[in-house]
Amino acid sequence: MKLEDVKKLADMARIDMSDSEMEGIAKDFDSILAYVGQVQEVSKSEGTQSSALTQEDYFLNNVMRDDVVTNKEGEYTEKILSNAPDTENGFLKVKKIL
Amino acid sequence: MKINLKDLTIEETHNHFKNGDFTVRELVDAYLEVIKEKNPDINAYLEVYSDLDIQISKAEEIFKNGTDTLMTGIPISIKDNMLFDGHVASASSKILGGYKATYDAGVIKQLKKQGTIFLGRTNMDEFAMGSSTETSAYGNTKNPLDTARVPGGSSGGAVSSVAMDGAMAALGSDTGGSIRQPAAFTGLVGLKPTYGAVSRFGIISMASSLDQVGPLGKTVRDVEIIFNAINAYDRLDSTSIPLEKRKISNPSKPKRIGVPKEFLSGDGIEKEVLQNFEESCQKLKNEGYELVDVSLPLIKYSLAVYYILMPAEVSSNLARYDGIRYGLHEEGDKLLDIYTKSRGKGFGKEVRRRILLGTYILSHGYYDAYYNTAVRVRHAIKNELANIFLNVDAIITPTSPCLPFKFNEKIEDPIAMYMSDLFTVPANIADIPAISIPSGKNANGLPFSLHIMAPYLREDILFAIGKDFEK
Repeated sequence: MKLEDVKKLADMARIDMSDSEMEGIAKDFDSILAYVGQVQEVSKSEGTQSSALTQEDYFLNNVMRDDVVTNKEGEYTEKILSNAPDTENGFLKVKKIL
Repeated sequence: MKINLKDLTIEETHNHFKNGDFTVRELVDAYLEVIKEKNPDINAYLEVYSDLDIQISKAEEIFKNGTDTLMTGIPISIKDNMLFDGHVASASSKILGGYKATYDAGVIKQLKKQGTIFLGRTNMDEFAMGSSTETSAYGNTKNPLDTARVPGGSSGGAVSSVAMDGAMAALGSDTGGSIRQPAAFTGLVGLKPTYGAVSRFGIISMASSLDQVGPLGKTVRDVEIIFNAINAYDRLDSTSIPLEKRKISNPSKPKRIGVPKEFLSGDGIEKEVLQNFEESCQKLKNEGYELVDVSLPLIKYSLAVYYILMPAEVSSNLARYDGIRYGLHEEGDKLLDIYTKSRGKGFGKEVRRRILLGTYILSHGYYDAYYNTAVRVRHAIKNELANIFLNVDAIITPTSPCLPFKFNEKIEDPIAMYMSDLFTVPANIADIPAISIPSGKNANGLPFSLHIMAPYLREDILFAIGKDFEK
């Protein structure tokens, strides 16, 4: 993998990284992708073709509930905002976007 | 009475409480003394909680009411990725340094009700990504059995807290072996329950389709007791299995155990480990079990499947850390700079690597070749195991292909580190329960471990074989 490809991934993942780290990652990825690439070989073999991508395996299914408010207004506001780096009047403060 | 922490089990402790031999407070004090003496060197705990007095009072009250359970007053440690209302939970990452939980995780709620004592939170690989606890942002944890070596990971602090007698048991989490491999490295018992048996609500997510919380302890029975206490439906976890679907009709005692010979002939498995495994097989035969060869041609691909699905889910789950709502915040000129700088500084090297790997795997043009293919092979592996379980009650392997290694031995070689999960990953891929049980020590005192997998929801088989093996 080339350095510029890793740079693109870092941009997409919103992570600031040094060039030297990205060079290391480019090298690591070649060996990791070669290793995990085994799945492409085995997926062509018998027995893996018919395994359908259904949602019904075991007991996994979508769990629904009515879209109603279940807590009192402001019940958790203070607790949650106490973790925020920057707040104002009960709101999270962010930089201007436009 | 003088409390001997070394061999104390949960049931014995419960009886001592009932007989008035010692109180919850006296037991907690005994653990705190050990922690004070050993933790500065071992670094198992990142924090010992300051509200132990309140916790102890609650446990005493429960005993007075007569509503006590086996878990009442039992001092355990919890992994740093479990939310405990009002307490810091950082996943051993700088990006969550100082983050205070705003509610209780499902497992914490279950145990709090019963008056279990949470002594403190334990060190781990950052966001549970690692097999040695060396990726923690808060320093290494040493293996109490040999302090030049790693305790395994990612629940390295959890196992060390128990192995140094700084807790009776621990809660860990297991995405690819993070409970069972560190248990193996420190001579403990570790259980990864069936996916959906134990609530994941309030556990800081790594790879949601694979994560599962489980107990670590000194004996199979201790692990069974904790599992029974947290094995519950939680409507706040959409993958939690409803109780009526958990019932097993006619659970029979296990008799036949499968040994996947060809899986044990791969590269990178230490000779000593294989020799010890042969001895474990013999021991099980002596206990009256029938051992049969089983063929599992796909199981060896579990690790490759894992290193596709896990980073993909990681890159998605960890997108939430933005430096805005909580956690580390780095200033920047634009909003985007705040994101990239906070994430660049807040995440450690291994986490950054896995997020990028997951981003690649999920990106246009590669999604089908990697992600979808891995999901298909995962299904095939699940089916392969389900079919084998029609003929055998359990499958055994060693827990780890290697003995506990030294610090820095594998940290620069991701593939070598990833290979630590070779035998443990299939259970996560197939959603089935698995346990690791100590199987002796080598000449240098390093522990060996036996790994047992059972069919979906059949933890009872693991406990039955485990107790026979432990004898």
